[in-house]
Amino acid sequence: MNTQYSQKVLDHFMHPRNLGILELADVKATEGSPACGDQVSLYLKVNPKTMVIEDISFQSYGCASNIATASIITEMAKGKTLDEAEKITWKESADALGGLPAVKMHCSVLAVDTLKSAIKKYKIEHHLIEKEKFSKDLILKELRSVVYPNVGEDIVSLKMVKYLSFDKGVVTIDLDVPSFDPMRDNIAEEVREHLGKFPEIKDIKLTM
Amino acid sequence: MKKIYFDNCLTSKTDKKVVTEMIPYFTEKYYFPENFVSIGTQASSDIDKSKKIIADSLNVDKSEIHFTTGGTSANNLAIKGFLTANSNKGTHIICSIIDYPDILTNASFFEKSGFEVTYLSADWDGRINLEELKAALRPDTVLFMTTLSNHTMGTIQDMPKIKEILSTSDHHIYTHVDACEAYARMHIDPKEMGIDMMSISAHKIHGPQGIGALYLRKGINLGQIKHGIDRIDRYETGGISVALIAGFAKAVELAFDNLDEKIAYMRNLSNHLLERVQNEIPHIIVNGAIGEERICHNMNISFSFIEGEAITVMLDLMNINVATGSACASKGLKANYILMGTGRTHEQSHGSIKFTFSRFNTIEEVDYTVDKLKEIVQTLRERSPLYTDYKNQIKENKGE
Repeated sequence: MNTQYSQKVLDHFMHPRNLGILELADVKATEGSPACGDQVSLYLKVNPKTMVIEDISFQSYGCASNIATASIITEMAKGKTLDEAEKITWKESADALGGLPAVKMHCSVLAVDTLKSAIKKYKIEHHLIEKEKFSKDLILKELRSVVYPNVGEDIVSLKMVKYLSFDKGVVTIDLDVPSFDPMRDNIAEEVREHLGKFPEIKDIKLTM
Repeated sequence: MKKIYFDNCLTSKTDKKVVTEMIPYFTEKYYFPENFVSIGTQASSDIDKSKKIIADSLNVDKSEIHFTTGGTSANNLAIKGFLTANSNKGTHIICSIIDYPDILTNASFFEKSGFEVTYLSADWDGRINLEELKAALRPDTVLFMTTLSNHTMGTIQDMPKIKEILSTSDHHIYTHVDACEAYARMHIDPKEMGIDMMSISAHKIHGPQGIGALYLRKGINLGQIKHGIDRIDRYETGGISVALIAGFAKAVELAFDNLDEKIAYMRNLSNHLLERVQNEIPHIIVNGAIGEERICHNMNISFSFIEGEAITVMLDLMNINVATGSACASKGLKANYILMGTGRTHEQSHGSIKFTFSRFNTIEEVDYTVDKLKEIVQTLRERSPLYTDYKNQIKENKGE
């Protein structure tokens, strides 16, 4: 079958691993939103002594690569300690699938983000870490999860963020995106979605 | 199982008879029109015959048919050609937010060069807002454009009513219609419908790719969009494949032979699909008008809680081809503007599947597809957190 997807992606899409709801999960995290795209939920069962992810499952509302990336993430995280699993990058997960089309890279970002968010949630709930203090650095960290779909790299690594400030609840961002770029709206939407999760941010002023 | 192709709105299979018709034009009659030499005269006469076939299908004169290199070329010729030659009559144009991209991108091009554009809204079923049309008419309105049958939702615009509204103006407002989707799937009489210009395309009706035509009512002059040598058409200058022209005419001849029967056949396929999906798959919405207001070969359905690209990829793995309005499957990762523009949520657009049939499809193919679709929708819903949330909500409500 000649599609833009690798055999591995199609395999995970058609036969997803660790699918469903984990009834005895210690923690559940959901990222993304049906309002403007895909959504992934992850369930983790963690051994409180060894901090090893003993069981993991997922649900996905999304396209083939969304389902495949969520599936591979569960395979990659299972059996790892929380600290090890937290280090999995979206590039590694895409590589594990034999690559993804550039325009679909954001799917692997969503899967990895969901895993990170589940781990963080577990750690906070079990008083292993404190809630991260809100800062400009945190915003920048979050922007590393916004992928420029034309090349499949994040907008921070691509140096597309020309200006970033945070003052009295208002984030001001200037992005370097060509005016003829068909992905402009998509990038703006992604930025707003990612920053939307911080209650500290009241308004986003985005220019391109 | 052989391939099932339900994306005939994108392009359609070339009829074998069309291919047979074209072959001599590649092997023996590979000439362009030329005066006073037999081979050139023969080419002219063949092109004329083809023109006549197409003109007859629309009840117009053959001098009103201009061949182009496709539907988009015909749209560009009509819009750009008309507006550049007639801007002295006014610089206000009207179209709608759900028109075909050819119309919308041209409108936006002219907007940037000083024209004013009114974009009419459309209702839930894809009918353009005719009250807005009435209110939009101005002394400087020169052109109204519409897509006869919407390429996504299949809704046919009410041309008699539109003609009536436009005729209330104190001056003639010209009408350009993109009929690439509608041609040979309904009866179109441009003169009766008040259409001045209309684009049609061969490859959507089992003709070859790369050839279309513009119907241009006698007496309307267009500006020259493509400068060059007048070989076959004074507007579409340069060479146009005579083979493709012959293939186009053959496709028209075949399509219009017992057209009513063919329309009924395609409508039966769409109705059967809809009926089975409505009876057998819960949580769906139909996109577009139903019944006679809808073009016969189009059915568009949104499946809640799941995403369309996943459905199309699964169907593709089963050798079934359909289209989706999902952002995940689009070039700009944008949700379908027509579904969103007619009041659907992102989720409803995301989960939409478009089936477009042809006379080569069968009821067995529809049945097989619905069988597979039922399994796929169930499988994907079982994976979806949105469906889980929905089921929990039901449980909660029952608990109260």
